[in-house]
Amino acid sequence: MDMQKLSAATKIQARNVDVFYGENQAIIDVSIDILDHAVTAFIGPSGCGKSTFLRCLNRMNDTIAICRVTGSITLDGDDIYGREVDPVQLRARVGMVFQKPNPFPKSIYDNVAYGPRIHGLAATKADLDQIVEGSLRRAALWNEVKDRLAEPGTGLSGGQQQRLCIARAVATAPEVLLMDEPCSALDPIATAQVEELIDELRESFSVVIVTHSMQQAARVSQKTAFFHLGLMLEYGDTAKIFTNPDHEKTQAYITGRFG
Amino acid sequence: MAETTLTRAVDWSDPAIRRGISNRHRRDFRLKVIGASALGVAVLMLLILVGSLLYNGALAFRQTHVTLEFEISAAHVDAADPAAGNYRAITQDALLRLFPEVTARAERRALGGILSNGVQYALRDRVVADPGLIGQTIALDVLVSDPFDQLAKGAIDRATPEANRRVTDAEIAWFDRLDAQGRISKPLNLGLLTNADSRFPEQAGLLGALWGSFYALLVCFLLSFPIGIAAAIYLEEFAPKNRLTDIIEININNLAAVPSVVFGLLALAVFLGWFGMPRSSPLVGGMTLALMTLPTIIIATRAAVKAVPPSIREAALGVGASKHQVVLSHVLPLAMPGILTGTIIGMAQALGETAPLLLIGMNAFITQAPDSIMSPATALPTQIFIWADSPERGFVSRTSAAICVLLVFLIMMNALAVVLRKRFERRW
Repeated sequence: MDMQKLSAATKIQARNVDVFYGENQAIIDVSIDILDHAVTAFIGPSGCGKSTFLRCLNRMNDTIAICRVTGSITLDGDDIYGREVDPVQLRARVGMVFQKPNPFPKSIYDNVAYGPRIHGLAATKADLDQIVEGSLRRAALWNEVKDRLAEPGTGLSGGQQQRLCIARAVATAPEVLLMDEPCSALDPIATAQVEELIDELRESFSVVIVTHSMQQAARVSQKTAFFHLGLMLEYGDTAKIFTNPDHEKTQAYITGRFG
Repeated sequence: MAETTLTRAVDWSDPAIRRGISNRHRRDFRLKVIGASALGVAVLMLLILVGSLLYNGALAFRQTHVTLEFEISAAHVDAADPAAGNYRAITQDALLRLFPEVTARAERRALGGILSNGVQYALRDRVVADPGLIGQTIALDVLVSDPFDQLAKGAIDRATPEANRRVTDAEIAWFDRLDAQGRISKPLNLGLLTNADSRFPEQAGLLGALWGSFYALLVCFLLSFPIGIAAAIYLEEFAPKNRLTDIIEININNLAAVPSVVFGLLALAVFLGWFGMPRSSPLVGGMTLALMTLPTIIIATRAAVKAVPPSIREAALGVGASKHQVVLSHVLPLAMPGILTGTIIGMAQALGETAPLLLIGMNAFITQAPDSIMSPATALPTQIFIWADSPERGFVSRTSAAICVLLVFLIMMNALAVVLRKRFERRW
């Protein structure tokens, strides 16, 4: 299938990753290969560590003082926890979209232009305009907002805000896009729009999405990882996980018997 | 879950249950009444305070003037040196011409006492500015001295026996004659705002105190605002959470509760004693007030920074903003309304602060408005303190009037805080 051809290369490789919050271990010995040009879904009951693991991939956990990460995570073969890696630059390469839409209380234009500006990605105003338009088009938001770029991003509807956040994340030309339950605060119509968008984004990025919705994982992802109590119990093609899982816990979770 | 379910049906019409409900309603009502009466007491106290201030101060908002013709004769003023003229004689003559029957030396002195002591100097300044007046007769509205000002305003009871009164029967008769001639007027007392302090209540004003307070607050703001914000940002965003920062935090909170007179002693010992900075100057006053305002600003800024939703920080970090970019372009602008409110309230406190200024000598008697932050000055609250301490009748109403002026400034600052908060308030 076409899909298989696209998802050939490994983008992120994690080996024996442990995460501790103080004394508590939140992630236990997780190893995973995340593919390029594919959507990988992390599923599992609340508190299983899927969001924690996602936040390891762009070192957002660095901002939590008591959090400690061991093991190795590589992006294109380079250790992202290496001494020479700057988390600030890493986060431009590994973009993130959060659970609650969180546009800056600035104009729509400035929201998208913020990343390119601070990283110095645009030499001229015209360049920046182009990046903003391109990113908004990518996020399927351009047609809705092109006439009111100067209006505050917080004035948009919830679904539009979340697409604005996606536009903001893709504006720094990342290679990986991390999404932490991006649709949990959205209504079904907005959810459908964002899901459609995720499918398109796969052409350019490696997308990792944390979701509580089985249907969503099944609809948008090619690979699915099932987390339970800090362990990654199963990882494989989405079609297989949802139809014929190896692990009985996976089976129980996707059929709604717990979680 | 199942264990806690009631096993029997509840009879909601049971009298015991009904009683319970009406009891609860009564308690609600009682709480409401207690709250409303507490509020009523507070409002009443405020009304009494403001009412008494306005009532007492009202006398000082008008000032009694008398219109007289002054003959600037060449006999008293030499055109070559107008500043050295005998203006006292000119003012005396202006009155004596109206009362030709007054001849005895003591009586003439008493008659001259109707005019404020400052009239001769005001006249001199006028002639020095325009020497062409020499040889002319000019009509001027001039201040009357305090006892007659009080008499005109009815603050001196004419029924009091003469021996217990500030003005004699003869003086009252002179004054009434002037009044009958339509020479007495009571215009709005602009001098209250345009004159500096004076020994004579009719000439005393708040100009020096207003400038002194302005300079002191300026120094206070320029010091405490940036230092306070920087300290709060460091504590909130950068400082590691350890014992040292805990101790610092506790001490900042304690500092906000230290009596202000202690800050005055500190300033006296350090700024004046060690550094030898000028006594009574708004610079030292402002530095002292800054010490007091700092903890307020730090606490307000920390609260405002804490209130910025973490999602905004995450969003900025998520696109790769570094720490200072998160702080400067996201956290600070969003925290600004809270910071400004806290700052203005801190400044308003500083404006009303008296004790520390007394200790560094800002309660000196200074008859000139300060021309810089280095020259000696008083501040509004210390000026009120000085006037409240003065025995002359005229200072009683002036004290209340000065308090009204101070309150107006405080209300204006608090209104500004509200406006700024509304203006910068943003949703996220």
